[in-house]
Amino acid sequence: MTWTLRIASLSVQISRRSLLAGLCLLALLLAAALLAVQTGSYPISSSQMASLLLGQGTNIEQMILLDHRLPRIAASLGAGAAFGLAGAMFQTMMRNPLASPDVIGFNAGASCGALAAVILTGGMMLPGALAGATLAAALVILLAWKDGLVPGRLILTGIGASLALTAAADLLISRIDPQTAADLLSWLTGSLHSRSWEDAARVWAGLALLAPVLWWLHFPLARLAMDDGIATGLGLPVSRLRLAVTAAGILLTALAVTAAGPLPFVAFAAGPIARRLIPGGKPALLAAAAAGALITLLADTAARLVPGVQLPAGAFTALIGAPVLLWLLLAHFRKGTL
Amino acid sequence: MPKTARLRAEDLSAGYAGTPVLDSLTAAIPDGELTAIVGPNACGKSTLLRTLARLQPAGSGQAVLDGKAIHRQGSRSVAQRLAILPQTPSAPDGLTVHDLVARGRTPYQSALRQWSQQDAEAVARALDLTNMTGNANKPLEALSGGQRQRAWIAMALAQETGILLLDEPTTYLDLPHQIELLKLVQQLNRETGRTVAMVLHDINLAARFASHMIALKDGRVFCQGTPSEVVTEAVLRSVFALPCRIIADPVHGTPHVIPE
Repeated sequence: MTWTLRIASLSVQISRRSLLAGLCLLALLLAAALLAVQTGSYPISSSQMASLLLGQGTNIEQMILLDHRLPRIAASLGAGAAFGLAGAMFQTMMRNPLASPDVIGFNAGASCGALAAVILTGGMMLPGALAGATLAAALVILLAWKDGLVPGRLILTGIGASLALTAAADLLISRIDPQTAADLLSWLTGSLHSRSWEDAARVWAGLALLAPVLWWLHFPLARLAMDDGIATGLGLPVSRLRLAVTAAGILLTALAVTAAGPLPFVAFAAGPIARRLIPGGKPALLAAAAAGALITLLADTAARLVPGVQLPAGAFTALIGAPVLLWLLLAHFRKGTL
Repeated sequence: MPKTARLRAEDLSAGYAGTPVLDSLTAAIPDGELTAIVGPNACGKSTLLRTLARLQPAGSGQAVLDGKAIHRQGSRSVAQRLAILPQTPSAPDGLTVHDLVARGRTPYQSALRQWSQQDAEAVARALDLTNMTGNANKPLEALSGGQRQRAWIAMALAQETGILLLDEPTTYLDLPHQIELLKLVQQLNRETGRTVAMVLHDINLAARFASHMIALKDGRVFCQGTPSEVVTEAVLRSVFALPCRIIADPVHGTPHVIPE
């Protein structure tokens, strides 16, 4: 069942399945956010929260909610959505669930770049992450290029580059003074610890700026999911689209990594979850963004709930994501489709 | 009467990564005809069709559509005049026949104009022509090979182009489905007046269904003309190195190859 919304000569299509899946994800997100606000080493009940938001309550409660918990949740949601979008776009473009930016080295590149920027300038993490992700993408694509880009070569080259860049990030962090390094070390595993409103605003502003472009790309991307031959035959500028999707993936990854560190497997998992919810060969970008946000928020909340230690959210996403990656790799090898 | 041709190859050389497959080839796809391109493996049949449809770059010379080099025209505008179905195309899992055929409307759509009345009518027409209306809501993977190929042809038809190119449309189909598909293609050519060109492996089927044939050898046109002009003992010996006899098909009168 598909509805067509028309305004004058403009028209947009929405399927009932997409709408339902979107509403379900939204409800889950709200529930997860509510849970995240209330739980933690200092639990806040619903009635407390209401009075806090009205400006009542103790200073310490005000501080915990407004300066710590809410910006952290906002940053989680934004970073997760950016990861999810980047993943779904790349997977759709390469027609392979393994070809997600975090698997093929973009995350590692972005974190290297951000660390290098911290060493060189003492800040500037987002521009650094952008430069790092761009260089990593260029490197991986150049190395994997052989009369065009085949998913198998891209994925294997990318996994290799990802390992090398992760090692490079570890080397870089040893060059940073111990005080800053301690904070960055947990960030480097993928952590949302002590995120400020500024961090949250940065990732959300980036998402808002990119939103029209992503919405525009959504339409040709659904057609790119078929053969190159078919897409070209339908009149799509395939190479230019690839370039645009790659650029968008780099931007989104840099935004997300700056906010949450190279949180592993969120980009990788969000796309397949979205496609499971909305089948029929659609890239389902909005659903992927919601799925990414949900995974990130849940992982960060889980990390906060472990008593006594500061666990990075990346530990949880890796724990779930790594076996899925292995399983997919093996499945593809067996089918001979890598 | 000289035949007109909107689509032609002029002195065209092309190939994969430095290995030239087409060698200064000149050929025309005559308007309104059902053209079959035949030749031995690796003679450049597919490369010719794909280069004519701008799926592959032209090395030297040019592929010409409506008087201009196709590679220098807007891809979207080309897609409104020429449709190509590549060999064994693939689609994402779960795509329904209707959604697949609807994608044939891409050259008329954009993110802001996703679905118009004309789109709906063109898709309904394409489904009807290919006899796929009853299967419209089935996912592609639930169909038989023959039905799936008809769905893909319906997608190309929904593009509503005057020219339709098919790259080995009968691959992986059994004989009854090959015949059924070629009958459909012939019917499309005759009833809708579309110019159709297809690459075919089977000379006998090509001779039976095509109205015009182009025989390629080593990246060049060896000869072209009506099936009875092209399917001769001399041509088959030179092009395929196949000693054979040609008899008239007792049912249709078209030339039929009996290998020795």
